[in-house]
Amino acid sequence: MHHVLVDQWSQGSSPLHARDPRAKVLVLLIFLVALATASPNAFPTLIIYAALLASGILIAGLPLGGLLLRSMGILPFSLTFGLITWLAGDRWRALGLVEKSYLSTVAVLLLVGTTPLPRLLGGLEALGTPRLLVLMAQFLYRYLFVISEQAQHMRLAAACRGGASGTRRHAKFRAAAAGAIAVLFARSYYRAEGVHRALMSRAFSGRFALLNPLRFGWMDACFAAGVGALLVLARVQ
Amino acid sequence: MHIPDNFLSTPVWASLDAISIPAVGLMIKRAGRDLPDTRIPLLGVMGAFVFAAQMINFPVGAGTSGHLVGGALLACALGPAPAVLVMTTILVIQAFVFQDGGVLALGANVFNMAVAGVLAGYWPFQLWGAARRNSAIFAGGFLSVLVSGSLALAELLISGVRMPRLLVFTSLGLFAVNAAIEGAITISVVQALDRLNPGFVQKPGRSNSRVLIVLSTAGVLLGIAGFLLASSAPDAIQSLGQTLGMSARTNFQTPMANYSAGNFESAWLRRAIAGLTGLLLICGLCLAGARFVGRRRSA
Repeated sequence: MHHVLVDQWSQGSSPLHARDPRAKVLVLLIFLVALATASPNAFPTLIIYAALLASGILIAGLPLGGLLLRSMGILPFSLTFGLITWLAGDRWRALGLVEKSYLSTVAVLLLVGTTPLPRLLGGLEALGTPRLLVLMAQFLYRYLFVISEQAQHMRLAAACRGGASGTRRHAKFRAAAAGAIAVLFARSYYRAEGVHRALMSRAFSGRFALLNPLRFGWMDACFAAGVGALLVLARVQ
Repeated sequence: MHIPDNFLSTPVWASLDAISIPAVGLMIKRAGRDLPDTRIPLLGVMGAFVFAAQMINFPVGAGTSGHLVGGALLACALGPAPAVLVMTTILVIQAFVFQDGGVLALGANVFNMAVAGVLAGYWPFQLWGAARRNSAIFAGGFLSVLVSGSLALAELLISGVRMPRLLVFTSLGLFAVNAAIEGAITISVVQALDRLNPGFVQKPGRSNSRVLIVLSTAGVLLGIAGFLLASSAPDAIQSLGQTLGMSARTNFQTPMANYSAGNFESAWLRRAIAGLTGLLLICGLCLAGARFVGRRRSA
């Protein structure tokens, strides 16, 4: 699955993986804002940004082709809108939609490809995201695969019993699908209760500890300041 | 309906980010008041449930199938404020992990789908859920999808994305169809849940609060206004964006030769500085408000 691959990427060890997530999030935000406000015909800026992203991917040791390919997920959407805008006679904007949304996607993928999600969420919390949201996101990500797998099993079971084939008796299949979702709901609900009891019995303090705590060192400050300045310079040149 | 980055013009996404941050903050405070700590894992796991439930196809008829979006269902089962938070968390995970929806556009997506969508989905349940439960739940599912879809469309139009009239009508029609499907799915899931355990779905009107009623009415009205505006006059909403200075179209349309670079840069800088100042101001206000409330509570 897609996210499992990104999870594998994020386990690597490169200078970019080693940077503090806060520094990377700051750089990403600077990048996205600078890109969003750049005009679509400012080709020098866009080329510098693309080169920076490519060198980031290479430094991080991520597969360049795989990452670029994965970012193409945005294209069906942006190409459709780009085509509409192009036909409406707004060519620069059409071009901007496609190229800029693609670059943004690559940048976000580079961030999650070099930062394991628990560390990323820890960084977001340190930057001021409310603890409740961060905690919910942790639980969500942790149980996403468990419950998706349960849903897959239920779908397979329904298909084995003839629940998925044939489209004649809609009402019956609708009732079956509704029942499946309700059962999934109940299972998730009771699983959450179990999770809570297990956490309590292990004296859960209300936050997940990271194996190596976040440390914003000199290297991180230099990275954020250097790359941030480069991005701004490339934008206003 | 997830808007990626660079589809919205800077004033639009910046102001929606600035609206969503305090809105989610407010919901966190409400949820903290309504919920015991025991339910934090529940909220996260329910987010995972919504992801997984979207894999189960619903036969809709004519060989097509739809899937649950979940805003109204969560609002009926968990209460509005926790449901807003669950949807927000889902959108955050989708933006970062699945690159579904942009990071800068996260505020817009949170506003459309988590805040306005969920509150609009809870609105009928709160108003007439006690008297006519089924129709309220159907209307909730219907409104939640319709409101978030038409808000997203209105935002795109205000940002100056040019769409031919026909396309606007087609997408509004599709939203309406999807909304009806969501309503039907929500109601059949709620009925199935009732058979499993009648306690899953809240009693309507349990968390009756004036703030929520006002907010959700505002959400419904905003969504319907977006729908009507976009359907009656797509051009009018674009020119509205232009007069408000929210449309990026004017910048991009003129050929580059007509631009003196200095002019553009200063306009860009001014806009960026204005946006940043606004964001900082709002952050400061939220922090000050939180401190004030905290002090009052501990006193």
